[in-house]
Amino acid sequence: MTAVTEAPAWPARTGASRAAAPLSLLRLLRIELRRNSMPWLLPLIAVLFWFDSYRPSASVPPLYVLRTFWNLGQGHTIIDFGPFVAGVAAWMGSRDGRRRTADLVTGTAWPRWTAQLATWAATAIWAVGAYLVFVGVMFAVYATEHVQGQPPWWWVAVGAAAVAAFSAAGFAVGAYWPSRFAAPLAAFGGFLAMVMSSQTGFHDTSGWALILPTNSNGNLQPDSGMLYPYLPDLPIARVMLLAGLAIAFLGLTGLPRAAGGLRLRQIAAAVTVTGMAAAGTGIGLVTTARLSPHGIVIPALHDAASDRLSSYTPVCGQAAGRPVCVNPAYRSDLADVTTALAPLLAEVSGLPGAPVRAEQIPAVYDSADGQAGQAMTITGQPPVLGLPLGALGVRGAFGWTSAEVDGQLRLLAAHAFVGGGAGTGTLAQQAVEAALLEGAGVPFASQPSLRTTVGLPSWARPATGNTGGHRHGPPAAAGPVYAAARRLAALPAASRGAWLTTHLAALRAGQLTLAQLP
Amino acid sequence: MNIELDDLTRRFGKTYAVAGVTMEAGPGVFGLLGPNGAGKTSLLRMMATVLPPTSGRLQLLGRDPGSYGPRREIRRRLGYLPQNLGYYPGFTVVEFVEYFALLKDMPPGQVPRAVARAVEQVGLGDKARAKLRTLSGGMLRRAGIAQAIVNDPELLLLDEPTAGLDPEQRVSFRAMLRGLGEHATVVVSTHLVEDVGAACSQVSLMDAGKIVFHGTPAELVARGEGSGAAGDAPLERGYSAALAAAR
Repeated sequence: MTAVTEAPAWPARTGASRAAAPLSLLRLLRIELRRNSMPWLLPLIAVLFWFDSYRPSASVPPLYVLRTFWNLGQGHTIIDFGPFVAGVAAWMGSRDGRRRTADLVTGTAWPRWTAQLATWAATAIWAVGAYLVFVGVMFAVYATEHVQGQPPWWWVAVGAAAVAAFSAAGFAVGAYWPSRFAAPLAAFGGFLAMVMSSQTGFHDTSGWALILPTNSNGNLQPDSGMLYPYLPDLPIARVMLLAGLAIAFLGLTGLPRAAGGLRLRQIAAAVTVTGMAAAGTGIGLVTTARLSPHGIVIPALHDAASDRLSSYTPVCGQAAGRPVCVNPAYRSDLADVTTALAPLLAEVSGLPGAPVRAEQIPAVYDSADGQAGQAMTITGQPPVLGLPLGALGVRGAFGWTSAEVDGQLRLLAAHAFVGGGAGTGTLAQQAVEAALLEGAGVPFASQPSLRTTVGLPSWARPATGNTGGHRHGPPAAAGPVYAAARRLAALPAASRGAWLTTHLAALRAGQLTLAQLP
Repeated sequence: MNIELDDLTRRFGKTYAVAGVTMEAGPGVFGLLGPNGAGKTSLLRMMATVLPPTSGRLQLLGRDPGSYGPRREIRRRLGYLPQNLGYYPGFTVVEFVEYFALLKDMPPGQVPRAVARAVEQVGLGDKARAKLRTLSGGMLRRAGIAQAIVNDPELLLLDEPTAGLDPEQRVSFRAMLRGLGEHATVVVSTHLVEDVGAACSQVSLMDAGKIVFHGTPAELVARGEGSGAAGDAPLERGYSAALAAAR
């Protein structure tokens, strides 16, 4: 080995030059950002985002939990971005191979992996940045539409992590297979992954499948972001999975011999293993998940503070002279609620246990009823009617008409008044319930039909012997229950009131039979 | 010596692209001649540290490129223009040269000035902001040369650098080579013997992976005198004579 006799053009690598590396990296990143292919695809993604993520959400009531259930809960924003991002990232990852610059890049002082990471970073910055901007614009539009409640920020983080993971996966495909076909392959792979994720997500309500970013089961609860916070447990696990996958894929690109020196490749291997460990931990954590009233709880990640109900100053109206108070997020539904409850509260006015006011209480997830309407309760002394409205119990959630919402609220209130609880109630309770509904403006003839509307608790369906079908030939209001109800309703108001005053305690205790009704 | 090769070989399958090359080179312009498939490009790729040798010893700038640390130091001082220059069509000339200047670990504060100087040196000053996809073949070649010289390399490897250049550009390029050769070792692989005659102080002739002639251009010319070898110019006749003698 012969020593160099001439002075080198550049000094040997020193601490100062190492310190300058971040600046060089930033300049490299600036060039990559300026010449990245991602911006070319953004208009297309924007159109898709508008039609697939925003527009369907605009047709549901203005509550964040409802608006974002489709686009964030079911992962449509990810579906809109993922395949395109994977394709573009693969295009960028395959660039040195396609453009035959591999020798040029490899023959430079910086490890090729570093240069590749700069290219990926530019792609990811564009993709994740666009995702956040698109979601931000969507939320801004929601704000102009007075959408109520809190945005599900954790779910936004899941989407951003998913976009980053798609970019890393696509980039790895391109780096390992530097062909012009890498991009369509990666895009198709991304699309296939999302389709499979969606299909699996629809069916699996527990176990590892909860980790899938399109699995909406148990994600957003009826009052999330309004009466209680969104539980961050499941999003954290998903971020662990997606960030882990992103890290693992990026690590993979540093493994080939051309990526750099042995030490660098060892680091890349460690990065890959770390990413896989994070992803595996995320999957492992969701297998311990359980469904709580406010959402998915993962014991290892759960913060008890998340279980606390949100504090708020209610907004109140009047129904039959009694205050009816709801969460401010439901302000626009208050008039509907008071209008619906007024006839029933008037009907039971003066009777024992009649509520002196109505207050909204948190609607909780029930595995039997899904996210359907929840049973009302009457508790305390003086009695207070608890209204678990829930995001799905308001007008427009299932395309209900105002009449249907009114009928449902009256049905739920009457059921609570007769002490039906969480079941169908006794035959006597059913008969009194039907009679009270008749008196509150829900005719006997329409009651079977009302009970078949989607969104009611399961006890509503079999209560009068109907089949539970949705508007497909509801049974007639006939049979011994309705016969007894008609007899009770036919009594003069004073007589009916007197009988109820005398027998309500026994009725609620389930001690009356149908034959004991007047 | 900036280049020391000792019995260097490179095999692709059963074919020896480079079959036991031994040579040394210090500062100056060094011409590498040879017919197609002689192994010039493989030899240059090994010297550019992008292709590991199958066997033999390779020392560049007094360092062994087989180890990561020394290889990185070599690459900081290396300029390389491949035969098939790849480029990013969406980059401008300045971005392309700056990109490689940064990858060569140049101090970031010096990069803008060095890039401007390199672009001017190859005569692309008026096209500095033009995207590479809009350039002619000759201009692209010059952009490639600019990225090779941007770090003021101690070892400059140019594979067919004058391909696509017009005569005027070729003349100025040769002048630039001579200037660079005053401080650095410049290896020029070419088919064009007139490039060698005009710019190189030493020349090697490769055939079938071996060096079959090494000397000055004048010595190569002397080989052709009275040999009756084919060629329109003295260097061409020397080239043909040296090849014929080796076969």
